[in-house]
Amino acid sequence: MTRVNLALLVFIGCVAALPLFGGAYALRLGTIACMYAILALSWNVVGGFAGYPSFATAAFFGFGAYATGVLLNKGVPLAPSILATLVASLLLAGLLGAVLLRLRGHYFAIASLSLVEVLRELVNNATDLTGGGMGLNIPLASGSGILADATFFFYAMWGLLLATALMVIGVSMSKLGFGLACIRQNETASDMVGLNTTLYKSAAFGLSACFVSAAGGLYAAWVHYIDPSDVFDILYSVKPIVMALMGGLGSPLGVVSGAFLYLALEEVVWRNYIQIHSGVLGVLIVMLLLFLPHGLISLRSRMFWRKAKHV
Amino acid sequence: MWVAQVLINALVLGCLYACIAIGFSLVWGVLNVINLIHGSFIVLGAYLAWGLYQALAIPPWYVLVIAAPLFFILGYLLQWLLLNRVITAPVLVTLTLTFGLDLILNNAMIYYFKADYRKLTLSPPMGSISLFDVVVPVDRLVATGFALALTGVLYLILRRLRVGRAIVAVRLDRDAAVLMGVDVKSIYATAFGLGAALAGCAGVLMALIFPISPLTSSTFLGKAFVVCVLGGLGSVSGALAGGLLLALVESVGATFLGPSHVTTLSFALLIVFLIARPQGLLGRKGFE
Amino acid sequence: MLYLKSARFSLVLGAAFIAIGCAPAAAEDVVRFGAPLPLTGPLAPEGIKQQQGYDLWAEQANKAGGISVGGKKYKVEIVYTDYQSNTPRAVQTSEQMITQDNVNFLFGPFGSGAAKAASTVSEKYKVPTLAATASSSQVYDQGYKYLFGTFTPNDTLTTPLTQIIKSQAPDVKKVAILARNDLFPLAIAQEMEKSAKANGLEVVYFEKYAINTLDHSATLSQMKSLAPQWIFITGYINDLLLIRKQMVDQQMKATVVTMIAGPAYQEFIDAAGQSAENVTSASWWHPAEQYAGKDIFGSTSNFVKLFRDKYKGDPDYGTASAAVCGALFQIAIERAGSLDREKVRDELAKLDIVTFFGPVKFGENGQINSLEPPVFQIQGSKPIVLFPQAIKQGELKLGVN
Repeated sequence: MTRVNLALLVFIGCVAALPLFGGAYALRLGTIACMYAILALSWNVVGGFAGYPSFATAAFFGFGAYATGVLLNKGVPLAPSILATLVASLLLAGLLGAVLLRLRGHYFAIASLSLVEVLRELVNNATDLTGGGMGLNIPLASGSGILADATFFFYAMWGLLLATALMVIGVSMSKLGFGLACIRQNETASDMVGLNTTLYKSAAFGLSACFVSAAGGLYAAWVHYIDPSDVFDILYSVKPIVMALMGGLGSPLGVVSGAFLYLALEEVVWRNYIQIHSGVLGVLIVMLLLFLPHGLISLRSRMFWRKAKHV
Repeated sequence: MWVAQVLINALVLGCLYACIAIGFSLVWGVLNVINLIHGSFIVLGAYLAWGLYQALAIPPWYVLVIAAPLFFILGYLLQWLLLNRVITAPVLVTLTLTFGLDLILNNAMIYYFKADYRKLTLSPPMGSISLFDVVVPVDRLVATGFALALTGVLYLILRRLRVGRAIVAVRLDRDAAVLMGVDVKSIYATAFGLGAALAGCAGVLMALIFPISPLTSSTFLGKAFVVCVLGGLGSVSGALAGGLLLALVESVGATFLGPSHVTTLSFALLIVFLIARPQGLLGRKGFE
Repeated sequence: MLYLKSARFSLVLGAAFIAIGCAPAAAEDVVRFGAPLPLTGPLAPEGIKQQQGYDLWAEQANKAGGISVGGKKYKVEIVYTDYQSNTPRAVQTSEQMITQDNVNFLFGPFGSGAAKAASTVSEKYKVPTLAATASSSQVYDQGYKYLFGTFTPNDTLTTPLTQIIKSQAPDVKKVAILARNDLFPLAIAQEMEKSAKANGLEVVYFEKYAINTLDHSATLSQMKSLAPQWIFITGYINDLLLIRKQMVDQQMKATVVTMIAGPAYQEFIDAAGQSAENVTSASWWHPAEQYAGKDIFGSTSNFVKLFRDKYKGDPDYGTASAAVCGALFQIAIERAGSLDREKVRDELAKLDIVTFFGPVKFGENGQINSLEPPVFQIQGSKPIVLFPQAIKQGELKLGVN
């Protein structure tokens, strides 16, 4: 295990100490931060490792939210619902991946974007099952107090983050990770050398989707009410990308710190610039892409190089 | 004879869709950039038409003449100053960059114009004409006429004017064009400017028919996407074909499956085309 | 090493930002009301209306010196946040307002969906909440004690409407219903369907359209081919304007055309012009009502006058409902004689009082059940009330072009 990955696990460990420092609202922010980190880390598997620009994160987030929501409504307890959602999305994404990952570049990006639209409308129309445009109400998981509830969901999301990080580290150290790196660099060559690109890509797509769906499910249980436009929101696809770009594409630690930093910025901007917050987000994205295309990580390495000159 | 009504509706709508998509198709085909600001440009054009009509009672068809150069300059500058820096970057970067720019533009519009829906109601209203039980509103016909005229103008530019031929050359083979002495950087800017101008003009025409609000920009963008994929990138005939196909699918779908399934249908069709025939119906490497 | 530094840097920065945001607010002789509203995004027009209602009430209350709490006067302060028409954010801001901004009481967010979602927070923290614009009875079915709403259930709009049409337009046999696929418009369309069937009308068409639909021509063509005598459309003001225009484009005629919830707004009548003629609608309140209220606004006409003076336009049911929520909080606090949340909540539950908005009494589940929502029709570019009898201004006119 590389030093970087170890650092990632240590960082996540530190985050677990949050309840000692803050009340219910801080826990709420912490839960969202963990959720963002899960989305960004998962996206990194298909976007950073494999090099396929996927915009499908929102599709699986929404899918997970509704799958868990429907199961909870039928009386299935939380843990089995999340588990079932995870498995279901792994399979679904694997299958979809086999089909969609035949496309490359722009076409893949658009196809993944369309997936969000299609799933949203499917949910919108299945009114009997999902409530359609009227939204889905999810029963409270427990009647316990506010702090207990907030702490429970914080740790649940944190646990999911840990699992995602372990998955990502596992992938990066395994043959799958190596294969994905080959695919990213030159897919045709990898194919010719005998790599089963379809299998690897589908596996990557599946893995990138399952934890996102689980996070979506947990999110649904947390907020008690979801509707299609909320959970199938394109921003859930774009934000992980911005976070990954901020922190450093490809590096799990970078991606996670990007996620946390992004959330902090979002909170500050939302509080202070109520009317123009999305414009400010836009400016942030533009600045980032024009001046810091390799993320924060590159900032440190540039400084490192500068230091080296003086040695 | 409501079947005929549905078909005529689709025909008219298809031309409007083509008009929305043509600028988007040009930019995508030539610069290989998916311009997510396109929808907001359309809405901005619509506001221009609405504003000028409210203030000076200038009807939208005259606004076209004002909108075209205005948006061309806007697009040209945007490309020259910002987008050109990331023109060779991967899809991810350009897509996210235009997404960010769109957030800025959209937010600015909401800030200045508010999210309320405005309507450009001509007085006196144009009414509709009726032929054998088929009713067609005149304002749509007028908008369709201008939309076709716009696509015709683009066609002529690309065929006849020197700069148009240069654009086509860059589209066909960038490196060869450079070797032939084409200033690619300025061609990129010109193409983007043209795309923006077309979007602005499309917006002016849309103001005649649809309500105007910054919230509709993503709807226009979504249509443009689907039309481009269905019809084929970078060609005028492709945009027309894609527009007609989309309008037809939507109209027939709304009739037989109900309006709630229309969006699902169009995006599912998009995915099918991407997988089975990514170059679209009439996609070709260059312009005709 | 560098990665560790970068990560720690991000963490510290992040913690710093969060800490900045968590500063508590100072306390004065002020009673704070939290109002999360969609001030941007698709629901912004509706959110701003609610804000107008709250502001008008706050201004009136403060003009009179404030709310009287056990002899002492407390100024009214309303804390607004924008949840960007995004329901999860509405929940988040509600919690933020309770824990960070220390509000005493809450106004519900706009609409049934967000109100229901946010009510979980207010119930957990035991903060009395008045929802000004939540009509679907599903909002109130969680057994919460701290949520109250000032809109009666959707069927109180559709039932009187159907009965009027049935009795005064006996030729009407076929109904076509087109609903926006969204919580309130769809819920009320479903009520309409039930009402129609219960009264022996045939529902020949029932479809939903997606939220951002720009073109309804195919749908309307199909509807036209079924030749219904009564066309019932639900949506928000922009959808209804668009659909009405496309109906005129296609030269659709019917005996009765009902639209909910656009025609209640002056903007609809102005924008639709001639095509708004004879369109029927129903809502929870109408400026023409004449109630002699015991609240700070007094009579309905006084409320309308105050609104006109401040905003240069007529109030509609959304602004009126928001204003009455403020007035009801004021009455409850004054009766409780304290800002204690339990006591105020109990006073709200006991209320049985006439206000400028109508008689107010909350049912067991917190939803108001004492209103008689008016049915009206646009005649000569003015909304004319057809029901209830007490404030009837005119007769139903048949035939819409």
